[in-house]
Amino acid sequence: MRICFSFARKMALSYLSHLDMLRLFLRALGRSGMPLAYSLGYNPHPRFTLALPLPLGVTASEEFGEILFTEEIAPDRFISLLQAQLPEALVLTGVTAVDMHKPSIASLVGAALYRAVPRGDCLNGIDPATLQGALDSLMEKEEILARRKTKKNKFVYTDVRPYILDLETGKNEDGSLTLKLLLQAGSQGGVPPAYVIEQLKQETGFGSFHAFDWQIHRERLFMKEDGVLQPLSERMGC
Amino acid sequence: MSGPLEELDSILARVRKPARYLGNEWNSIHKKHALVAMRMVLAFPDLYEVGMSNQGLKILYDCVNRRPDLLMERVFAPATDMEALMRQYKLPLFALESQRPLNEFDVIGFSLQYELSYTNVLNMLDLAGIPLYSSERTESDPLVIGGGPCAFNPEPLAPFFDLFVLGEAEEALPELLARLAELKNENPGRKETLVRLSSLAGIYVPSLYEPIYREGQFCGMAKLDARAPSLIGKRTVADLDGIPYPTNPVVPYMQTVHDRAVIEIFRGCSRGCRFCQAGFIFRPVRRRSRDNILETARELINATGYDELSLSSLSSSDYPQIDLLVDELNENLAGKRVRCSLPSLRLDSYSVKLADQLHQGRRSSLTFAPEAATERLRLIINKNITEEDIFNALGDAVEAGWQGFKFYFMIGLPTEEEADVEAIITLCRKIRHYFKDRSGRKLNINVSVATFVPKAHTPFQWEPQLQITGVIERQHMLRKGFKNLPGFDLSWHEAEAGLLEAVFARGDRLLAPLLEKAWRLGCRFDGWSEHFSFQLWQQAFDELGLNAESYACRRFDYDDHLPWDHLFSGTDKEIFIREHRQAVAGDIPLRSGD
Repeated sequence: MRICFSFARKMALSYLSHLDMLRLFLRALGRSGMPLAYSLGYNPHPRFTLALPLPLGVTASEEFGEILFTEEIAPDRFISLLQAQLPEALVLTGVTAVDMHKPSIASLVGAALYRAVPRGDCLNGIDPATLQGALDSLMEKEEILARRKTKKNKFVYTDVRPYILDLETGKNEDGSLTLKLLLQAGSQGGVPPAYVIEQLKQETGFGSFHAFDWQIHRERLFMKEDGVLQPLSERMGC
Repeated sequence: MSGPLEELDSILARVRKPARYLGNEWNSIHKKHALVAMRMVLAFPDLYEVGMSNQGLKILYDCVNRRPDLLMERVFAPATDMEALMRQYKLPLFALESQRPLNEFDVIGFSLQYELSYTNVLNMLDLAGIPLYSSERTESDPLVIGGGPCAFNPEPLAPFFDLFVLGEAEEALPELLARLAELKNENPGRKETLVRLSSLAGIYVPSLYEPIYREGQFCGMAKLDARAPSLIGKRTVADLDGIPYPTNPVVPYMQTVHDRAVIEIFRGCSRGCRFCQAGFIFRPVRRRSRDNILETARELINATGYDELSLSSLSSSDYPQIDLLVDELNENLAGKRVRCSLPSLRLDSYSVKLADQLHQGRRSSLTFAPEAATERLRLIINKNITEEDIFNALGDAVEAGWQGFKFYFMIGLPTEEEADVEAIITLCRKIRHYFKDRSGRKLNINVSVATFVPKAHTPFQWEPQLQITGVIERQHMLRKGFKNLPGFDLSWHEAEAGLLEAVFARGDRLLAPLLEKAWRLGCRFDGWSEHFSFQLWQQAFDELGLNAESYACRRFDYDDHLPWDHLFSGTDKEIFIREHRQAVAGDIPLRSGD
C-alpha cells in the first residue's frame, strides 16, 4: 500500500542535508519494523521519497513524504510506529493512504512559500522601506542570471527571474521584520531562497547582508493546477 | 539549536556539513551534569565521520554511560572552516551532547589511533582553552588522558597528557573514573591524585618518569616517585561475552566512513604478521560466542535500523565455522533486508567462498592483502601465502562473478630489494594474463602501495624505515611499470606522510616541542593529503635542530634502550628478538598460540 505523510522539521534538525533526511527516515522505518516495499532489480532500494529537498538550515511546517509497504497499515498506526522512532525535532503532522496509480508527490510540487527572519541584528538598520524598495527592483528585473557550477567544473547560467513568483516584507508579532518568498520549485525548475536573499544584498547595497544571517522557514508546498497554485496538503489530504 | 551556545546557529549556517556538530543523533545520551560524580568527554582527534566509524569510541561511550554515576559525551576535531569561525567568534570547543565547553568536564580522553592526528590533539586542547602541557594545568583544569594503539608509545605526546590508559579500556576506564571520583572528594591535589592513579593497573602517568639521555642517546627512564610502577602492563578483558557491548550505538545523520552496524566477532589475531602492531597489542585472541553474536546482531539491527552488519576482527576468516555463522545471520536477517559484510578476509579459496555467501546479488570488489610480491619477502614478514594461493583464490573469485579486486602491498619492508618491488609489477602482469585467459570482462583492479612504518611492540621495531629518496624511487618504479598495465589503478601513500608517521611511531619525548612547533606553524589534519604540508613540518624540524630521517630511518640495536621499554604490550622483548632474528634469517616462524 502507498502512504503519504506530512511532517514538520524544527530547528534542532535544520542542518541536515536532503540525503541525511532520507537516511534518517529509512533507519527510523527500519527500526519501526514496518514492512517496507523495495524496488526490483540488482540493487533493490526502499520505495521511499520526500516531496522536495529541504535546503540546509531551513526549518519547515508542512513537508511531505511518500512510502510503499508490502502490507496494509492503518494510517494512525503508521504515525505512532514511525513517530516513536523519530527525533523530537521531526514531528509527523498528517497521514493518508494514496491510490497506487496517482502521480508521485514529488512530481506534483510546483512552488514553495518561505518566510525568512533576520538573525540577531544582522540587518543593521535596514528599514522596511529600503527592503521593500530592493524587493520591488528585483521583481522589476527582466532577467536574473544565476551562475551554477556543473560537475565538470564549468559554469552554466540560468535565468531564475521567472522562478521568483512573489516577494513581500512583513512584520512578526513582536514587530520584527520578515521576508516572504514565493518561489517556483520542483521538477520544472526553481530557485533556492538563499540565492534570492543574496540577490537582495546587491539590490540594497548593504554589504553585511548574507543569506546565512537569515533564519529561513518553509511554510508550505504548492502544486500548480491550471496555472493556479494550490496547497499540496489539499490534494494529499494529510 | 536550542543549546546554550547562542552563536552556534549563525556559525552552523556557514560551515560545510553542519551535521557533524549537532550531537542529538539517535541513541545519543544526554545526562544531567549535576547528577553524576564524573563527567568525561571522549575526544577523537579527527573529523566526525572518521571518529564515528571507530568501534572503540562506541564501546567506551556505552560502557561509561551504562553507569548511572558517570557521564561521557563526544567531541571531534572541528573541520578547518568550523575552526576558523570558532576562533573568530571566540567559541570554545564544546562537547556535542550538552554543548558545554570542554573545560567544564572532569576528564578529556583522547582516542589515539594514528600518529598523524597528533597536531589535532594540540589544536583541540587549544580550542578548548586548556593548557597544552600537563605541567601548566591547575586544579581547575580537566585531567587530559589518552588511550588507543598509539598509547603503546606515547612518548612524543607525554608532556601534553596527564595519563595514558594502556590496552583495552572497557574495564580500566570506568575503574579509573570511579577512583577519580573518590579522589575528588578527598582532594589531595592534582599531583598526588596522579601518583595515586598510577597504582591502578594499566595506568601510565608520564610526569612520574624522566627520560635519561647520555650524549644525546636515550638511556631509559628514571622514576620521579618511588610509588610509580617500573613497568606498566596493558589491560585486556578476559572474556568478550562477559563485558557489555554497545547494541544501541549512536546512529549518525551524515554518511560516515563505515556507515553500518558492527559486531566484533573476535579480538586479537593469531597470524603474527611481523609488521602489524595490532596483531601484537591486541593479544591474546578472544572470541565472542556464536550465540552472543546472533543475539547482539538482532539487538543492534533493531536499535539502529542499519541495513548492513559488519563482522569485524583482524582476520575474519579465522573465526571457527564462520561459514555456518554467516549462513545463520543471513537467515535471521533476510526478512529485514540487512546485508552482512566481512572485512579483513584472507587470501584463500575458503575466504572467497565466504565472500560469495555474503554478497548474494551485489558483487562489488574483493580485497586481498599479500603485502609483498615475492615469496621470500612474504616469509620474512610472516604473511604465509603462496603465489598458488593467490591464483587459486582469484580463480574462485572470477568463477563466482567478482569483477573488482583490491590488492594491498607495502614497500620498504625489511630486507626488501628492488627486485621485490619489480615483483609487484610482475605479479600484476601475471594476474592480467590470468584474467585475459579466463574472463572476457573488463579488468578492474586497484593496487594500493603503502610505505612500511616500523612500529613499537613488533618484531620490526628495531628496523629502519626506507629513506625517503628510496621510497620515492620505488614509487616511481611502480608508476612506470603500471603504465603498461591497463585495467590496474595504482595508488600510493605520500612518502613524506609515511616518514612523519615513522618519526612519531618510534619517537621519544624530545619530539613534543616539535609537535607544538608544527601545530603553531599551522599543521592540522596531517593524515589528510589536502591539509598535509611537509614544508611546514620541515620548517619545524629545522627550527628545533631535529632531523626526521634520523628518527624514522634509525636502526636500533637489541640492547638499545627503546623509548617504550617501560610499557609492556604482553609480549616479551626476547620473543620480538627471536622473531626478528628469524625474519632476517628468512626462517619460518611458529604460529602463535590462539
